[in-house]
Amino acid sequence: MTTDVAPLVLDEGPAATGEAGLASPAPPRRRGGPAEPDEPVGEVSRASVVGGHAVLVLLGLACVFPIYWLYVTSLRAPDDIFKLTPFPWPLSVSSYSDANKAVHIGRLLVNTIAVAGLTALGQMLVGLLAAYAFAAWRFRFSRLLYLTFVGTWLVPFQVTMLPNYTLLNRLGLLNTLAGVIVPNLCSALGLLMLRQHLDGFPKELLEAARMDGRSSWATLWTVVVPNLRPALAALGILLFVNSWNEYFWPAMVLQRSNSVIQLGIASFIGSADQGLPWGPLSATAGLACLPVFVLYLALQRHVVNGFVHSGLK
Amino acid sequence: MFVETAPPLAARSPVTAARATWPRRLARAAVPYAYVAPALAMVVIWTYRPLVGTAQLSLYSWNLLPTAPATPVGLDNYRRLLELPDLGHAVGRTFLVIVGLLPFTLLVPVVVGLLTRRVRGRARTVYQAMIFAPFLVAPVAAASVWLWLLDLHQGVVNRALGLSVNWFNDPHLALWAVILMTGWSLLGFAVLVVAAGLAGINPDYAQAAALDGARRGQITRWVTLPLLSPTLVFLLLMTVLLSGQLTFPLINTVTQGGPLNATTTIYYLLWDYGFRDFNAGLASAAGILFFLGFTVLAAGLVWLSEKVTFHDN
Repeated sequence: MTTDVAPLVLDEGPAATGEAGLASPAPPRRRGGPAEPDEPVGEVSRASVVGGHAVLVLLGLACVFPIYWLYVTSLRAPDDIFKLTPFPWPLSVSSYSDANKAVHIGRLLVNTIAVAGLTALGQMLVGLLAAYAFAAWRFRFSRLLYLTFVGTWLVPFQVTMLPNYTLLNRLGLLNTLAGVIVPNLCSALGLLMLRQHLDGFPKELLEAARMDGRSSWATLWTVVVPNLRPALAALGILLFVNSWNEYFWPAMVLQRSNSVIQLGIASFIGSADQGLPWGPLSATAGLACLPVFVLYLALQRHVVNGFVHSGLK
Repeated sequence: MFVETAPPLAARSPVTAARATWPRRLARAAVPYAYVAPALAMVVIWTYRPLVGTAQLSLYSWNLLPTAPATPVGLDNYRRLLELPDLGHAVGRTFLVIVGLLPFTLLVPVVVGLLTRRVRGRARTVYQAMIFAPFLVAPVAAASVWLWLLDLHQGVVNRALGLSVNWFNDPHLALWAVILMTGWSLLGFAVLVVAAGLAGINPDYAQAAALDGARRGQITRWVTLPLLSPTLVFLLLMTVLLSGQLTFPLINTVTQGGPLNATTTIYYLLWDYGFRDFNAGLASAAGILFFLGFTVLAAGLVWLSEKVTFHDN
């Protein structure tokens, strides 16, 4: 319900890195050389390559500048906050220590890691079991059941929030981290992606395991999961990032406490109309983004490796 | 949809099935359902049950307090909604947001994609990573970055351009500021999707057209863009589906729907009715109307994508 953002990332990862992986072996020969394979017109113009670089550089800088400015601001000394110099000098971590005094960033990060990690793990497990059923058996109502999962995309989460809120209240999960995790344990996105991977899984292997007398449960963990490891890792990271960036659901469940990092950022913004604490705010926001950037870089490499290894097999 | 369901499980292994007694056969037939059960339970409890609950709540007047009674009011909530101007205005603003996002999710990505087709290799990977980075920034962190950049007195944008524009407190500008922030997040994703779409187009078509004497612009208009149309429809669908989810955290943290309701989109209106006015009935009625409209819209777009798009081969 809240994972709408991720199919995008998932579509992206393989596309972007796949291209990178494919392009890297041969770029020196191709770049600027005559007759690009997909060049629509036979003529070659160096100008169009240079122009392409210029467009991408400008757009890239425009996209990155706000992020750069966030970290620059967070590293300025408190008196230098309003300076416009492109480099923060002298460097200072006082914004980070101020932020830590205000919201206990360490605790927020630990909480957020726990919430995002458990949510991603749960979503993988629940999604894997269901996707396995769809891929390994043909059973009555399987199509209807599958549509039931796809259909959750049509129910925006603002529509279901009031009944869910009252149910959480009755279960005593309001203002608890469990209340953030439990309702999100089934990710339609995770299920659909896993089903795609499992549909491509060689049926002969499943059949062979069955002939060997292995139970379906043992087959899942000894045959399917080891072979899907790269895909599972990539999906797990995506689900983790998604859950990490989630704001709406935690804001609703944890209304009175600042226990995850996104709410920590919001607590700085909500405090005043004029003169927000820009340094600590930037420091908190910067720390909240850092793990995601790191994970994305890790993911890119992982997916590339996945491609390479599957090619070797 | 039932017509397409597969024959029952027993068909797969007639020998064992014939030998097994009926309790064992039943147990074996139940296996796939057992694997689907956890996911199904989550979806039913946290998506479909509350959807029904919202439909019920929409017929009551209730202030969300567990102790207060909910009084049945029939269709009064719907009547009030349709009489109040709020809903119409919110729908109009949501529409404006979607239209305002199209330059970021369709126009610029396609132009950039066409201009930069000839840039390849490692440079391209770096550009793409730069353009994609904002998509990874959590919405709340993005909100804090842009609050800082667009600050009235100290913001880089106003100071660099010598302006004194009050981006978030001017009713005419606030919604555009929200669109700008959301567009910044989505742009990189859309650029990568278009790049992947362009890379997937078979160059033979363009070469054939070039041999027939077509000029570059003609090829783009009559060959490339039609072949890219599935990608474009996907991006349109994504803009419609995601605009609300992505703008909500920005609106909630930056403008709270203001100034003068200038940024109250339909998603924010639902939140407002529920958690500011504590009017469960009105919020639910709006949610149901919204769900119905959303379903029709999504169905229309899916139909469009199957009807209008041209397919390779």
